[in-house]
Amino acid sequence: MTDNIKCECGHLNHVGTVLCESCGKPLADDDGQGLLEMRYDGVARRSQKANPNVLDRIWNFFSSVKVAVYLIVITLVLASLGTILRQENTFYNPALTDMEKFYREEYGLFGQIYYSLGLSNMYESWWFRGLLLMIGTSLVICSLDRVLPLYRALSKQKIRKHLSFITRQRVALQTELDPSAGPADAWLERFAAALRARRYKVHMEDGALLAEKNRFSRWGPYINHIGLIIFLLATLLRTLLPGWSMEEDISFIEGETKAIAGTPYYLKIDKFVEEFYTEEDLHESMREKGVGMPKRFEAEATLYACLEEPCGQPGTLEELARHQIIINEPLKYDNLAIYLFYYEPTDQIVWMNLTLEERDTRKPLGQFELDMFNPAPVMQAGEYEIRVTDFFPEFIIRDGAPATKSREPRNPGVVLNIAGPGTPPEGYRYLFVPKLGIMEELEDDSYRLKAEPEGNFYLSLASVDDVRLAHYKTYLSVRSHEGMWMIWLGAAIFMIGVVMGFYWQHRRIWVRLDGQSLALGAHTNKNWMSLRREVADALTRSGMEADQKDLDNEVKRS
Amino acid sequence: MIVQISNNALVIALTLYVLSFILFVIGVVGKKWSNRDPEAHVRRYSRTAFILACAGLASQLVFFGTRWSYTGHLPISNMFEFLSTLGMMVAIAFTVIYLIYRSPLLGMFATPVVVILIGYAAVFPWEAQPLIPALQSIWLYLHVSLAAIGEAFFAIGFAAGLMYLMRTVNFKEARWARRGVEFTVLSVLMVVGFIFIVFFFRGMGYEAQFATVETVRDEAGNELEMPSTVTYTLPPIAAPHDSEVMYMDSFLGMDKPLFETPGWMKGVNAGRKFNTVIWSVISGLILYGLLRLIARRPLGAAIQPALTDINPDDLDEISYRSIAIGFPIFTLGALIFAMIWAQAAWGRFWGWDPKEVWALIVWLFYSAYLHLRLSRGWLGAGSAWLAVIGFVIVMFTLVGVNLIIAGLHSYAGV
Repeated sequence: MTDNIKCECGHLNHVGTVLCESCGKPLADDDGQGLLEMRYDGVARRSQKANPNVLDRIWNFFSSVKVAVYLIVITLVLASLGTILRQENTFYNPALTDMEKFYREEYGLFGQIYYSLGLSNMYESWWFRGLLLMIGTSLVICSLDRVLPLYRALSKQKIRKHLSFITRQRVALQTELDPSAGPADAWLERFAAALRARRYKVHMEDGALLAEKNRFSRWGPYINHIGLIIFLLATLLRTLLPGWSMEEDISFIEGETKAIAGTPYYLKIDKFVEEFYTEEDLHESMREKGVGMPKRFEAEATLYACLEEPCGQPGTLEELARHQIIINEPLKYDNLAIYLFYYEPTDQIVWMNLTLEERDTRKPLGQFELDMFNPAPVMQAGEYEIRVTDFFPEFIIRDGAPATKSREPRNPGVVLNIAGPGTPPEGYRYLFVPKLGIMEELEDDSYRLKAEPEGNFYLSLASVDDVRLAHYKTYLSVRSHEGMWMIWLGAAIFMIGVVMGFYWQHRRIWVRLDGQSLALGAHTNKNWMSLRREVADALTRSGMEADQKDLDNEVKRS
Repeated sequence: MIVQISNNALVIALTLYVLSFILFVIGVVGKKWSNRDPEAHVRRYSRTAFILACAGLASQLVFFGTRWSYTGHLPISNMFEFLSTLGMMVAIAFTVIYLIYRSPLLGMFATPVVVILIGYAAVFPWEAQPLIPALQSIWLYLHVSLAAIGEAFFAIGFAAGLMYLMRTVNFKEARWARRGVEFTVLSVLMVVGFIFIVFFFRGMGYEAQFATVETVRDEAGNELEMPSTVTYTLPPIAAPHDSEVMYMDSFLGMDKPLFETPGWMKGVNAGRKFNTVIWSVISGLILYGLLRLIARRPLGAAIQPALTDINPDDLDEISYRSIAIGFPIFTLGALIFAMIWAQAAWGRFWGWDPKEVWALIVWLFYSAYLHLRLSRGWLGAGSAWLAVIGFVIVMFTLVGVNLIIAGLHSYAGV
């Protein structure tokens, strides 16, 4: 095999060239009569190389559109399998669920097979990601393999083409010019003018013409591939680079402040409001079903920075941002965004402003504030010092002693030590469980209640404003926004590319005069009907009777 | 009042589309009738048919606008609204493509797609509901309406592809191609049959009710048994799994279900959906059988003679062209705008939710179609088959995913 193919016009072509790059003479099937294959203008692609080495072979593999289509089809078939059963990432807390058991019990044998094949977590699997990576590689190589030779071919087109190149186009016409209608050159000028009126760029050279428009649409596919490559690269970087993607789900009870893990910030949800549609909101036809449907829910959120460790106490936090988070409007700060994704009703005490009283006389002795999520170790009520010596978020009695069922403050109980005027120096110990109405003195160091439960002190609420109740628990998700610009850039470039490629067509018309005989051929990558119409229209304007049907090469041949 | 006007406008639109379809058929089929100039015949009928289709579109726009005004949101928030809007988008896409190519044959194939989509929409509850907080976003409008326009062009691609196949398949010799065409026609007829059967039993006021126990599993894996009732509006051929008849109207002497839905069919109302599928298949087969008896040959072969005058290359190109127009719109609406919205609402632009995955599958499928066509020269039959299959995937994504798989898009009203 020789390295190059010499055409009769003298041009040297690369191996694999279908149509001579210069005059367009068919090099492969050169005495055929059928329509020419005009893909990539018949140029040799980078992958069509004699004696390929290993690297060339890899390149050749990925440069094949056939391979690309196989990759696409494999991906779409696998992706559809992943939607048959629930994916593992849809569990709120996947780490806490025994997945194998779940799939076995919920879906039986099929579920078991599904799980063991890894289909239950396929979109995160190495092989699915590998497939996407292969598509990405194919995108890069396919594009490079074609765009450069195509660019070369289109930027140095010869105007006078080989006769068989013209007559074997899908839109073609061969006829004799009527000598009485004037010289051939004058007709060519008129035809050129008609094409210019249709916004063609016309080039002429001794009795030959090349008219071309919208060549930029040929670059559409390559531009959209660049967009896709940027997009895929961005998704890859987001999974690989630390900090480019973070996801932290936190639940808050109204009034609660919590640290956001992985960031220096604290978040407080002050209040959660749920609104329902009322009669006034809705047209009469919608009232029956619509009234009572949720209309709006919003979480009043404040983001804080920590001024000094340990954080959480008043004065240690600095407000950074405040926002009413609704489902479609997160709180945004710097590169973080905080989303509301779920809520549920609850009934909990957040804090209480308590009055310390003498039990028998109900004489107030002082006031103090008890935070039920994060009680301060020491509090002051008038002349009395109150210490929290034990805290049970969800108070229960287990084996005769107080204990906690969970770490959620659903029913908080505290052990308070009250010391001051009239108490022994070590003070009196009290068990206080506000929801159960327990305020009893304890014996010594044990948790045993005193035989006669009167005790010395009593805790009361002066007014309803002295207790803060939480009615909702909200679930928020903190996510980082790093790298999103790259996602949107990729998407935007992709859109530009597809619009360029699909909404415009590259059209070319070649004319060759040999004395009075005329050969015309035209090519487009799509919308042939309209090209035929355009050519027929230009021919008519140049003074030649022409009908669209006469231009259809295929119909004439068949 | 306005509700009445709005709903009537949709019924009028549907009627006009049906009339348009009939005139397109007369225009195409009737040109061989005696004592007339074929070309003038086609021109006259197809012009009237196109005007009727435009009037239908105008009437549907009245429905769209009035419904928008009294509900306060674009009518795309439940299955009835979405499918009727999709039908309208197909009518718009058809108008665009018709103005480019002026092919009455396209009318003969595209108007039934519009009619079937609107008829199918009408099966779902018509009542409007206010938007839940998750849907209150400008992206709902941009995402859903643009995706629907893209899908509408795919529908035209489907219609033209099917026409291409009916025009070119050799019904005597190519057995698999003949079966494929017949199966496609049968599938369309099943949808038509389903619409008829639902309205038939709705007109009769048919109802059957079952008591059943629903097993719900919480996150921790504990099973909770909840008693529930299931109401059927079609006679129960298949009862829900593990259920008892509470009451049941008798239909043609059938006063108890024939069998129970097997237990491995999971999901909300699996029994009722399975029963609906059975009815669709039966009614589709009956319709197909009747038409086949009248035609006395495969339906594709019966339609073929009407298509002989048209150039198959033009059909091929119309199919390809509408997919090429639809593809960028679909990408923007169904994927990019969806990603922007997902990012704004949930903080992740992509989450492999079943509906997202299926939108991606549609996109990958049409990408493969375009690559095969542009780079590998898959023109004609291969391309037409893909256009047909592609739209089946589109419909599965729009309706099937919600009925069978659900996921995050389950609020779409089914």
